[in-house]
Amino acid sequence: MKFCHSIRWRLQVWHGLVLVLVLTGFGFTAWQMERNQALSRVDDELRRREGMLARAMHPPPPQGPHRGFFPPPPDDSPPFAPPDKASPEDSIPAHNFALRPEDTPFFDSLDPHKYFYRIFLAGRREDLERPIRELARSPLFPASLAQMRPWAASSGENSTGMGPGGGPLRNPHRIFSDGPYRIIVDRLPSGEVIEAGCVLDPEWSALRMVALRLSGFGLLILALGLTGGSWLAGRALSPLAEISAAAGRISAGNLKERIQLEGMDSELGQLAMVLNSTFSRLETAFAQQQQFTADAAHELRTPVTVMLTQAQTALSRERDAAGYRQTLEACLRAAQRMRRLIETLSALARLEAGQEFMKMTSVNLASVAEETVRLLKPLADEKQIEIRHDLKPVLVKGDHARLGQVVENLVANAIQYNREKGWVQLTLNCEENVAVLKVADCGRGIPAEVLPHVFERFRRADPSRTGSGNSGLGLAISRAIVLAHNGDIEVDSRENDGTVFRVKLPISGSASGTEAHPDGSPNSGIRAFPPNI
Amino acid sequence: MRALIIEDEEDLLTSLAQALREEGYAVDTADNGPDGLFNAEGIDYDAIILDVMLPGMDGWEILRRLRASRKTPVLMLTARDQTRDRVRGLDGGADDYLVKPFDLDELLARLRALIRRRVDQPTSRIVIGPVTLDTATRQVTLNGGVVALTAREYSLVEFLAMHRGEVITRTQLYDHLFDETDTSLSNLLDVHVSNVRKKLGYGFIGTRRGHGYCIE
Repeated sequence: MKFCHSIRWRLQVWHGLVLVLVLTGFGFTAWQMERNQALSRVDDELRRREGMLARAMHPPPPQGPHRGFFPPPPDDSPPFAPPDKASPEDSIPAHNFALRPEDTPFFDSLDPHKYFYRIFLAGRREDLERPIRELARSPLFPASLAQMRPWAASSGENSTGMGPGGGPLRNPHRIFSDGPYRIIVDRLPSGEVIEAGCVLDPEWSALRMVALRLSGFGLLILALGLTGGSWLAGRALSPLAEISAAAGRISAGNLKERIQLEGMDSELGQLAMVLNSTFSRLETAFAQQQQFTADAAHELRTPVTVMLTQAQTALSRERDAAGYRQTLEACLRAAQRMRRLIETLSALARLEAGQEFMKMTSVNLASVAEETVRLLKPLADEKQIEIRHDLKPVLVKGDHARLGQVVENLVANAIQYNREKGWVQLTLNCEENVAVLKVADCGRGIPAEVLPHVFERFRRADPSRTGSGNSGLGLAISRAIVLAHNGDIEVDSRENDGTVFRVKLPISGSASGTEAHPDGSPNSGIRAFPPNI
Repeated sequence: MRALIIEDEEDLLTSLAQALREEGYAVDTADNGPDGLFNAEGIDYDAIILDVMLPGMDGWEILRRLRASRKTPVLMLTARDQTRDRVRGLDGGADDYLVKPFDLDELLARLRALIRRRVDQPTSRIVIGPVTLDTATRQVTLNGGVVALTAREYSLVEFLAMHRGEVITRTQLYDHLFDETDTSLSNLLDVHVSNVRKKLGYGFIGTRRGHGYCIE
């Protein structure tokens, strides 16, 4: 079996694919959520710190002890504001920077390599150099911010509206990732831009760990799923192997073989049951066929033996004309017997296959029976058997000649298997739209063990032939004809007491009127046969 | 040699009987079981040809009853060719089994073999001094030269040669050389014996006075 043609493997591949897709989607989503959470944590922290810086840039008016770097202008002369208030530089606001005391630990003690900050002052570069220097010199300036100083200084012209990344600062407040950094940029209403960033390395390595764990977990699930799927598929499909093996053995000729139904409770069990019953019917049909062939061969053996022996004896030496004539006559008898057998067998085969052409007309069964009785009277007289009959006219739809054959077979049997000086009784009645023809005799009867088989081919009540004229096919033919007329034939017998055959045929009308039966079309109940081809 | 044929198929029965008679057998026939059994039990046949399917009593039953009293070789004829049928036939006491349709030559050869086996004669050639019998071709030679014998004379020689060393009574001889339809007188036997002696030598068939004949 090709790999790609195996249902099991196709199921397995499909199941694996679906599992991979689901797990990948699931894993990816989980990882995304984890990543978003980590980022939002980072973002919150950055926002918090940026907010602290923003507040530090614009501390509320001092109340109590002043901790700012720059004293407010009314109290002190601004250290870095140029005295000339008329020049454009005069417009530069005085910069103050005072971290709240509760905020300072964040800028003093936290890992200085992780977070970085830049503050862009609005104004021209040269104007800002001094204030920045002043700022940096301030003892209160946080260490972490001081290390970032050169950036802040070199990015002075960003105050013209360019963002730290070099792009235009469209959104005054934004958060973005840039390589390994997460950066928040915020432009204060007063014009300063505060940039706070952090290195994402720890987050990324944590996320890598998460990804690794998710992949490991996914692979484990996949392996479990595939194993389980394979086991299930194997279990579900294992009856198929048994079925195909059994079918193989049967096709190899062992018709007694059956599929073992143990453990098959699924749809395949049903299939196996159906197959088993098919196999049984096949076996029966095959056995019948074999029996028939054997029987036919058996029936042909005797006439062939006669011909062979007769011819070989005649040829063993010169004979006179009378001797040859005798031989030829015996050969002829044997050949005719074979011809009869062949004709009967093929008629039977045609009848059973529904191919026999029947001339369906309205037939008065009573007159058919009377004709038969007349025909067989000499035979009955010879055996001193009395034929009585009580025949009510009944019309049936059927083939006159074939129905005559049925009656003839039954009456001839009744005469042949009768006792000395016995009787044969023919009765024809109409019971509920069914014509019933009864042929009874007072003969030796049919043994109970043979009774169910009398309508089979080559079955005789007496296994040894009592006459070569009886082919053992008469009842089989009769039954086939009656069935072809949608009728039925039954037998009832008691040993040494007599036998009754009942032929039931659907009527097409009563003989008293020539019209068709009032409540049926002329063809009702009669099977139409195709012409013999 | 005397044979009985029990067969209900009339045309087969007559042709078999004719063939056997032409082979020098004395032949009795029966066309039903009871008659066949009656004959088989009453007469010491050299062989019986028995059909299985018979009216009245089938071949198996005849064989079973016959074996209670006689060991006559039985060749069964049947239209059944299945192994189990052959086995049944052979186990039931048949000496040989032939399936219809058969060749007449084969039937005759099997019959001869059955008869030979009964008297422990392994081949179809019997050598008695200068005389040689070929039971297959039914020829007798004396010192290499073919001797022309009539059918009856040959049957006489054959029967005595088959029972070489035994004294065969006149009744026995008569029983085995003539069938029930034969009306020949028993003293015809003496004529046949003296003719054989003329052809094959006077010492060939010995006479035991008051007992019968014997080939030493």
